[in-house]
Amino acid sequence: MGNKQTIFTAQQLDAYQDCTYFTRKEILRLFDRYRDLAPQLVPLDYTCQPDVKLPYELIGSMPELKDNPFRQRIAEVFSEDGEGNMTLEDFLDMFSVLSEMAPRDLKAYYAFKIYDFNNDDFLCKSDLEKTLNKLTRNELTEDEVRMVCEKVIDEADLDNDGRLSLEDFQHMIVRAPDFLSTFHIRI
Amino acid sequence: MARSPQRQSSREEYDYTEEYGSHSDQQSLRLRRVPSRVSNQNPPQFDWSSPHEEEDEEGSSGPPRDLRATPLPMALKRAMRQIQQMRVPVVSSRESWKRKKAKSLRKLKESGRGFLSFFSLWSKTLQKIGGNFGGGVQSYFLFLRFLVVLNFVSFLLIAGFVLIPSIVFRSVGSKLINSTGPEACMEYDPNPQGLVVFYNYFLDLLSGTGFMEYSYLFYGYYNNTMVEDVNFSYNIPLAYLLTAVFYFIFCLICIIVRMGTAARVVVATGVSTVGNYSMIAFTSWDYGCLGDRATKLKQKNIHYGLQVDLEEESMKKRAATLTLLQKIVLYSLRVSMCVLSLGLIIAAFFGIFKATEFSQKNSLQGGILGLFFEYLPSIVITAGNFVVPLLCDQIALIERYAPSNTVIVALLRSVFLRLVSLGVLLFTLWGQITCDGAENTGDCKLCQYNHLIYQCWETRVGQEMYKLTLFDFLINIAVLILVEFPRRMVVDNWSNKLTQWVGRQEFVVSANVLGLVYGQTVVWTGALFCPLLPLINTLKFILLFYFKKITLFYNCRPALKTFRSTTSTFFFLVVLLFGWGLGTVVIIYSVAEIRPSMGCGPFSVFPSMWSIVPMSFQKLSITSQEFLFFIGSQSFSIPLFALSCVVMCYFVALASVYGKSVALLRAQLKLEGRDKQFLVKQIEMLSQSQHILN
Repeated sequence: MGNKQTIFTAQQLDAYQDCTYFTRKEILRLFDRYRDLAPQLVPLDYTCQPDVKLPYELIGSMPELKDNPFRQRIAEVFSEDGEGNMTLEDFLDMFSVLSEMAPRDLKAYYAFKIYDFNNDDFLCKSDLEKTLNKLTRNELTEDEVRMVCEKVIDEADLDNDGRLSLEDFQHMIVRAPDFLSTFHIRI
Repeated sequence: MARSPQRQSSREEYDYTEEYGSHSDQQSLRLRRVPSRVSNQNPPQFDWSSPHEEEDEEGSSGPPRDLRATPLPMALKRAMRQIQQMRVPVVSSRESWKRKKAKSLRKLKESGRGFLSFFSLWSKTLQKIGGNFGGGVQSYFLFLRFLVVLNFVSFLLIAGFVLIPSIVFRSVGSKLINSTGPEACMEYDPNPQGLVVFYNYFLDLLSGTGFMEYSYLFYGYYNNTMVEDVNFSYNIPLAYLLTAVFYFIFCLICIIVRMGTAARVVVATGVSTVGNYSMIAFTSWDYGCLGDRATKLKQKNIHYGLQVDLEEESMKKRAATLTLLQKIVLYSLRVSMCVLSLGLIIAAFFGIFKATEFSQKNSLQGGILGLFFEYLPSIVITAGNFVVPLLCDQIALIERYAPSNTVIVALLRSVFLRLVSLGVLLFTLWGQITCDGAENTGDCKLCQYNHLIYQCWETRVGQEMYKLTLFDFLINIAVLILVEFPRRMVVDNWSNKLTQWVGRQEFVVSANVLGLVYGQTVVWTGALFCPLLPLINTLKFILLFYFKKITLFYNCRPALKTFRSTTSTFFFLVVLLFGWGLGTVVIIYSVAEIRPSMGCGPFSVFPSMWSIVPMSFQKLSITSQEFLFFIGSQSFSIPLFALSCVVMCYFVALASVYGKSVALLRAQLKLEGRDKQFLVKQIEMLSQSQHILN
């Protein structure tokens, strides 16, 4: 082991370790995974901080993400340009938040952003409908979807504006014991 | 540093996101904002111009942890980190030493955690199971792993205090008291006479008789010896008894600790079904779910769960509108079905009772028939445990409870059946050993236990438990090989309507968990009489883990009706406690009431197993005796009891206060929301009137 790697400078690795929930070994492993997606695009030398972005199609084809119905939203939320094209730092960020050591508030914040399809910082009815359809593969009838959306807003909307704000969402997540273990991708 | 009050800071934007994003389009820009509550500390509301004194007082755990938990892009975090590092020289040397120490301690903790996770058994397998089959199935395997570890540690305990001293001191040491008593009672001859047919060894292995009987496996082989040396004395009977007692206490502590962690979660989130739909919508999707098939299944699961909830709602509405006549019909139907299921269970008990009696009477037959008679109680128990729950399930369908209640009712019936059927077996054994409680009549008159049938009754009880354990294991394997694999092969290769309707095996979590609880209860009841039983059980559970894993991945499809994984862990442990209670009752009764066999074992000369404790007690020094007397006396125990009542009341009051304050805060939130809407309307009205005026 030791310090024989030449991909990152020591300062870069330290910085990544402080900014994510990964150890040095895991960061190098993640870099290998990132590079495996497109070896010809990703250089082996990141010491000069190259500006390399992998397109969404490559990210979405990763085995951990390819069957997830929310993969497009995940990539959009964590990518710099909001379109799903991710740099290495976005990639590290994404898996750090989805790792098992990220605290609940951080995960809740990003989960809120993922489910907010129209990016208006509120989970309105249309966002909920899209979420439910993705969850059940469009198999619920219109009536059922409508009923469930109404119930969700009834239960979680505390300030009575007909849509869920970030605080409502976080308040609801506090009472969900499974959330930490389900909002978790092991890589 | 300007710290604005929490409420107004709920939406704060960092200006440099816009600089950095370099996108004029607001929609696609990543608007990362700091939420109002990031962990328990105040968020670092970063102001470039002012020094950060507040962060100094948090020590070095402050800045790095805050960085990782802030929802900012990586580049921004790195920039913040650089700024913090540049500001570091401002602190004193003592502060920086403290920070360095805390940082290295944190790194050590993390590497320690990584090291320990290497030791946690089967963690990758469990994760794979959870990803493919869901939390309910995973909780079964987690429970199994807990039992494996519990049994192994118990075995280490027993080996350290009973087995190894017995082996070491076998030839050394003197008998505690010389044995006196009727000659007939002290006869004990476990070894068979004459030529033995070779397959008898195999039969003996399965039933614990013959060469296996007089071995460290059973109670009868341990000696009533005490080793005295210059500075060392070891009293084997006392060690045997105290180890057994401590084993039970240790298991209880482990279960309660584990229940505590599960219960904390259950209590904190409230056991209500309110919040059910929002939970399903936002927390049910498992992001670790891998594979196309597992994903489709998970989606079907969620679909089914939502449909069930909606159906329950409509059923509740319908139930509220039932007429009186319909209600009477429904309730009488439920009562009659309850009576019917009770009748089925009692019939099963009667069958077990008769089978045990028959088996005990004909136990001296040789060969395969003898083996069959010996295993008869196990066979009847297993058959009952298989058939009766099936019938109870059908009965529960007729009763038309809400779907979630149906599952719970069926489970409770199965628990009742399994544990009490074991109790019936033990009761029958007791009746035969002590001549139905009348110890001074008939065959029991001479030795206060039935020495004609049982020369060494503890070994016999140990053998019964050993047979139950083995049989349970063999049945599991047999069902796997003879039922589940063929079923899958038939369903996969021969497609017609019948096979499609039958379908692949479903991994029913509740039935499997009850099997584990039953196996563990058998071990608890038998541990006093068969000290190596925890070791055998450890091996059995390890093998079971691998067999169940194989059948899960090859033969099963996930169940549609799933258990909530957090409440289910708690429920499994509660059921395990019932089993522990049964084991405790058995051990207390055997230790205190029944006279130990005079021909074998470490307690052969004592009137009861417990009497070794007062005897050894006399040998202690005066001060220790007085101290122990004091602890046992009223002047100590009553104040202790009063103190624990006070402490309990305090905690109950604390919990209720927290609950009330949560409800109050929630009401306050709703009120604030309405205030906000009212004010917004006012503003609109005012601006409209202004507009009209203009």
